[in-house]
Amino acid sequence: MTENELEKEERMYKSIIKTIKQAPLEEFYTSGHRTCQGCESALLMRYLAKISGERTIVVGATGCMYVANTTYYTTSWVVPWVHTQLGGSGGAALGTAAALRALMRKGKIKEEPINVIVFCGDLGCADMGLSGVSNAMTYDYNLLIILYDNESSANTDIQETSMTPYGAQTSFSRPGTARRIMKRRWKKNVVPMIIAGHRNVRYAATTSPAYPLDTLNKIKKALSAGGPTFIHSLDPCPKGWDYDPMYSHELGTLAVETGIWPLYEYIDGKIVYNEPTKGIVEGRIKRKPVREYLEKQGRFSHFVEEDYDYFQKMVDEMYEKWEIPGVMPIRSVELARK
Amino acid sequence: MGEEDVKYVEITYRGIFQKRLAKYVAEGLVYMARDMGKSAVSFGRYGDSPERNGVPAKYYVAVGNVSEEDLIGYSTRVEPEYVDVIAVLDDTLLKGVESWAWQGVQPINLKLRKDGAMIVTSRKPMEEMVKLTPSKDFQWTLGKLNWDRSFSGLWAFNDDTTMERVWGAIAKVRPDIVDIQHVVSYVKSHKKDKLNERLKAVEEAYEGLVIKTMNPGEGVEFKYAPPRLLTWQEMMEGTAIPAVPRGGRNEQFKRGTTKTERPTVDFDACIKCDLCWVYCPDECFDKTPDGYYDIAYDYCVGCGICAEVCPVKNCIVMVDEKRLPDYTRPYGMWKANKVEYKKWLQNARAEVRERPIVPGLGR
Repeated sequence: MTENELEKEERMYKSIIKTIKQAPLEEFYTSGHRTCQGCESALLMRYLAKISGERTIVVGATGCMYVANTTYYTTSWVVPWVHTQLGGSGGAALGTAAALRALMRKGKIKEEPINVIVFCGDLGCADMGLSGVSNAMTYDYNLLIILYDNESSANTDIQETSMTPYGAQTSFSRPGTARRIMKRRWKKNVVPMIIAGHRNVRYAATTSPAYPLDTLNKIKKALSAGGPTFIHSLDPCPKGWDYDPMYSHELGTLAVETGIWPLYEYIDGKIVYNEPTKGIVEGRIKRKPVREYLEKQGRFSHFVEEDYDYFQKMVDEMYEKWEIPGVMPIRSVELARK
Repeated sequence: MGEEDVKYVEITYRGIFQKRLAKYVAEGLVYMARDMGKSAVSFGRYGDSPERNGVPAKYYVAVGNVSEEDLIGYSTRVEPEYVDVIAVLDDTLLKGVESWAWQGVQPINLKLRKDGAMIVTSRKPMEEMVKLTPSKDFQWTLGKLNWDRSFSGLWAFNDDTTMERVWGAIAKVRPDIVDIQHVVSYVKSHKKDKLNERLKAVEEAYEGLVIKTMNPGEGVEFKYAPPRLLTWQEMMEGTAIPAVPRGGRNEQFKRGTTKTERPTVDFDACIKCDLCWVYCPDECFDKTPDGYYDIAYDYCVGCGICAEVCPVKNCIVMVDEKRLPDYTRPYGMWKANKVEYKKWLQNARAEVRERPIVPGLGR
């Protein structure tokens, strides 16, 4: 590692918030948005605006967080925010970052670091906008794409997306008498896809607003890492997951503690596990049974014993069989080396 | 025959939690009116979509002696000009209704026509309800259906006879829209299970509805100031919206009407852990100089996360929204007089109900 890189790494770690008391008090995404009671995606928006500060441009693809934040000629954003089309998050990120660089080069605006953050939902990023996001990740512009994943198209009353977990009920996958499980596909792993396919991505992470310190620091690290960066956040959604809004935080932590949602970050080729996932992977903490997480949500209320078992088996595999536990379904790195 | 002969029933409900209930109530009314030889259609208020948990929303039924095509024509707008009956499925809605910023906080009986009726599902005595109800400058009827609010999730329908009770109550106050015979015959022909229970519920509501004639000016004064909507010439280029000033909040959209419960804080028990502030998705907590957190109730939506994450027992407790008349912030009250505040707190928390939410497929 060169001196310059070491310096950069040191700077990154010095900026980490150690306790929640150090979190900035000022809000750049504030009250008065039309989200559900107990919306965790709104919490993620709040964290990202809070930690990135005033010199930030936020671009939002169509979805819950776009419709909710602009109720007739009002907004809850303090920093500049602009809407982009459902599949346009990657292109908008690239365009904004490139425009800033060009303006600075031509001397039309002051040369200073301006954060470009683009958020998109699971339909906007992982389904429709994936090619655009992938394209943005191959350039060297400084931008952060955040995927806020509530596991459905929640704005239009819960339709199935590729991020909907196995078996969950949505408007497109209502359990019937002949077929109980209508969603038979397994959820995509987007962060591994990004880090495996894009060599110049220096930082990518998974997070959940149920771990505020972790989330704040990950956004901070992503913005200071430079180049294209990516964060995937799992946000419990009281409307679509069908639970009492007061349990949003509990479900976020349960998703991590059961191992369904591993928290990790990818920094310059290294995978670092965070929060309970670190203990789980190192074998210090026992994973909670997935049933605890699934039973609390109405969307899994049609599950029977074999569905719970299947779900548990799939999650067990993530930690017991995968070469990089919880991250990538590759099992044969050791074999290939022989 | 024109639109003045059409009668409208408005069903005001809590978004998502009562979505199915409101839809089924409207569906039943349409079938009953058709049985009575009239034409009828039902439609949701377009502007309420996309619905969010707890956001006040409306559903309408139009009944008339005009052709169904005409009725559909009348219903192709945001909401009717006036309504004859309002069914309120949750009594905390009496404090005001705001679905989007362009409506402002509307009084619950904004569109009520002269001699109209409003039915409220409530366990409160009639006198207390009158204290919450906005006044009108004509005579109208207020009915109280003595029944708990029925909540469920998006996928569930809480089949607890609330639907049948609302029909019975409407038949009582406005037999010209649906009469009790047709309610009974509809229930008999359309519902197979728990028939006796359902018929009993209709009868109970019909017989037991508490009715009060509201005189002009009776009730509370509700100042409704609809926001002035900008014309396109006044908007900024590209319809850009001015950002919120630093340290401020979105002044044009205070969404306090979304909540059915609000958090109350016992500052004496507070350990200043910051967790309520950290986990609030609506940025309602304001830090005070001595490290406590004041609550902006006009922006609070009552999700209950703060009460759930608070590590101290009885520090943050959710109380029914009806028990507190306004959005006075607690910190100022506590600072002014700590003994009085304790008393006020005890009074506010005197009645803490369990949250009535049914998740899953009717579980």
